[in-house]
Amino acid sequence: MYKKDEKKILLEVVDLKQHFPIETGFIFKKQVGAVRAVDGISFTVNSGETLGIVGESGCGKSTTVRSIAQLYKPTSGSVVFDGLDLVNAPKNEMLKARKNIQMIFQDPYASLDPRMTVRTIIGEPLDIYMRRGLLDEPMDKEMIEKRVEDLMERVGLNRAFKNRYPHEFSGGQRQRIGIARALALNPKIILADEPVSALDVSIQSQILNLLSDLQKDLGLTYVFIAHDLAVIEYISTRVAVMYLGKIVELSKSSELYHNPLHPYTKALLSAAPIPDPVIERKRQRIILTGDVPSPNKEHKGCYFYERCPMRMEKCATNIPPMHAMGNDHAVACWLYE
Amino acid sequence: MKRESGYQMKNIMRKKQLPQTMNEFDQVVKGNSLSKDAWRRLKKNKMAVISVIIVSIYILLAICAPILPIYPYDEIVLDHQNLKPSFSKTSGELMFEKRLADLYTQAWRQGRLTLSEEQNAILETWIDKNQATKVWDYMYVEGNRQLESGTFTFNTAENRTVNNLKSKIATDLQITVDTIWTTDPQTGKKLNVEKLSTEEIVNLYATMVGNTPQQVITQYTVEIEQQILKQIKSESTGLTEAEYQSLLQADLAGFSQKERDNLTKDNVFSKIAAIAKDIAASDLKTAATDATAEFPLNKEIQIKDSLSASVKATKMHERRYYLGTDYVGRDMLSRIIYGGQVSIAIGFIGTLTSVLIGVVLGALAGYLGGKVDYFIMRVVDIMYGLPYMLLVIIAMAIFGRNILNLFFALAIISWLTISRMVRGQIMSLKNQEFIEAARSMGASTPRIIFRHLVPNSLSVIIVFSTLRIPSFIMTESFLSFLGLGVQAPYASWGSLVGNGVGGMTLYPWKLFYPALAMTIFLFAMNFLGDGLRDAFDPQSKNQL
Repeated sequence: MYKKDEKKILLEVVDLKQHFPIETGFIFKKQVGAVRAVDGISFTVNSGETLGIVGESGCGKSTTVRSIAQLYKPTSGSVVFDGLDLVNAPKNEMLKARKNIQMIFQDPYASLDPRMTVRTIIGEPLDIYMRRGLLDEPMDKEMIEKRVEDLMERVGLNRAFKNRYPHEFSGGQRQRIGIARALALNPKIILADEPVSALDVSIQSQILNLLSDLQKDLGLTYVFIAHDLAVIEYISTRVAVMYLGKIVELSKSSELYHNPLHPYTKALLSAAPIPDPVIERKRQRIILTGDVPSPNKEHKGCYFYERCPMRMEKCATNIPPMHAMGNDHAVACWLYE
Repeated sequence: MKRESGYQMKNIMRKKQLPQTMNEFDQVVKGNSLSKDAWRRLKKNKMAVISVIIVSIYILLAICAPILPIYPYDEIVLDHQNLKPSFSKTSGELMFEKRLADLYTQAWRQGRLTLSEEQNAILETWIDKNQATKVWDYMYVEGNRQLESGTFTFNTAENRTVNNLKSKIATDLQITVDTIWTTDPQTGKKLNVEKLSTEEIVNLYATMVGNTPQQVITQYTVEIEQQILKQIKSESTGLTEAEYQSLLQADLAGFSQKERDNLTKDNVFSKIAAIAKDIAASDLKTAATDATAEFPLNKEIQIKDSLSASVKATKMHERRYYLGTDYVGRDMLSRIIYGGQVSIAIGFIGTLTSVLIGVVLGALAGYLGGKVDYFIMRVVDIMYGLPYMLLVIIAMAIFGRNILNLFFALAIISWLTISRMVRGQIMSLKNQEFIEAARSMGASTPRIIFRHLVPNSLSVIIVFSTLRIPSFIMTESFLSFLGLGVQAPYASWGSLVGNGVGGMTLYPWKLFYPALAMTIFLFAMNFLGDGLRDAFDPQSKNQL
């Protein structure tokens, strides 16, 4: 349909904000503030690519994907998927779109219903959409059964295991079940919320390889969250760096790792250990001072101002916009104005 | 047509055949569902299996009660009051023993039956301790010994009593009329009177008593009116005679001709049956006295003219009461079985209703949260604040004392605890990732609640419900004990225990057996609850 190098925007996030109200009061609740988990982020995801999102704990990565999946109702902004604004979409349209947006979760132990067999877990999305009559082609029970088996083989699980319960599997196998479930409806985009961070390193690489194989075979698009920079470098086409609910830098993966621009990105990359003792010994770390500020308060200036080693007067009062630096590289910092 | 049905057959066959799973060695892997898995684990738990067997025996007995070979639970035999349980002796022998013990004791009191100083002292201490049963047992043995050795003889009055009792035991009959037949004089064909039309029955009866059919009908119309009037008076008391009359007229106007005919028919038929019973009784009495007939017997006896009746007769005092009788001579065994019917039904149905209400409301409150949660939980709090027993008692008083209202009253009160529990469970589950996963694939709220949340809190629900059943049975017995539960002649374990407490020292079996039946059942339910909890938890470490 389209040329391989031609970019088609599949998902567009515009000024997405997700604030969680802080309430007090016993009977009559009063909002006294908000946790600004995601505070106005914009990015696009092209069809067939992988957008990696990195950032430290609590910076709003998971909230971002959950808002995209409409698990939380965003406070403001829009999420446009395939031309449809999910935030304001009617229920039925939303359900149709949801079929193309599936999630893989972080904890392979908590994300599978312990009372269901693998067959039921993987077949559940199919069952739901069959009952709603929203499947592309109607399926009966036998076809679902067949599809479940195919999916299990596809993600590297023995199909004889389909009558087992999740607790009978190892973490890696469980994550494969989660992936099979996400694939069941033939989605266009998969939102992966730290899918490998709960696994040990050898299993991580298996799962990562599986994901990239699936991407090649099925033409999937990923939004991939991790806090492991090596994982992100391996899997991503483009990378967004988040800090305190904001995207601070967005660029192609190779570009970002070789030429980080934002002071926070620099600090983040410098913190990653290098698996070569000679280089590792010489590694220069940028130590940031202070703690991450509380996400409860509203910022007038740069979100990174308090901890930035290169802060300027301007940064205190003006929120930096994203500056396009060419070569598909954008950074939110006054240094590059 | 044939082809079509063949096609349908094939379709049904295909539906039944589940898709098979093969593993890498091409062996069929058997399907495994949660319930199948649970059953497999339950079977490994010995106590639970024993409990399942016990509970099923109880339930089977309760269900099969009407077809079991036991005496009717509401049949009052005044001669058989407070007979003790016995496997070997008939009720006649027990009655006789009881009377003899009585006579010996009286004679001892009057000084005609002399005992040694030691024996007297023992008896006195028993009497002081209120142990009348021991005294009677002792006097029976001692009296028989003295009677045999000739140191004690009955006086004439006593002799007469003993002889009367002997002949009564030998001749008292229990007669039931099964069917009444009429033989057609021309064809000689036998017809069942009960199945004849009203007119024919009335004619039969008229010729039997020598009246015209018209007279019979008028007589019974009056009789029916009186029956209805009596019923009205018992239902609503404190009205004037005129009001009763107007109520009666209103009732009568409500009857169609057919209903009236049926009423007449029933009345006339029961009259014929009563006459048949009387005739049979006098016929068979002689047979019983001179021992010309074998009892129990089934016989057809001639009533009058063309009428005859199939009669079943048993000797009244040849009955055996394995668990004794109560204060009006009803069989304890059958009362315990029928009482179990009521108690178990209250336990199960009450629990089922309360669990259904509690789970649905608790799940909604827990999952939806916010205002729904607030509203439901405040209702629960308020109802918790009200005294539980008082509510049940008020409900019973308002809606009337019958079993259905008892179910209702217990169910509306007892969903509170379970709804709180389920709410707590669901609140802790609803932020789990698998629920988010379900939401992300578009599952509806009911599906999330009933497919994910409720099954995951199932172990709590099951344990709670199995523990709830005993508590329902207890509550029911408490109410019956207070006189607010099951009303006589119906029985429940609670009312039986309540009745038994009265004569506890004299007739311990009246308390012991119902209590035993109840205890075993409650024990079994508790073990079953434990077993089920372990069985329904796939992650159970207690896999045995």
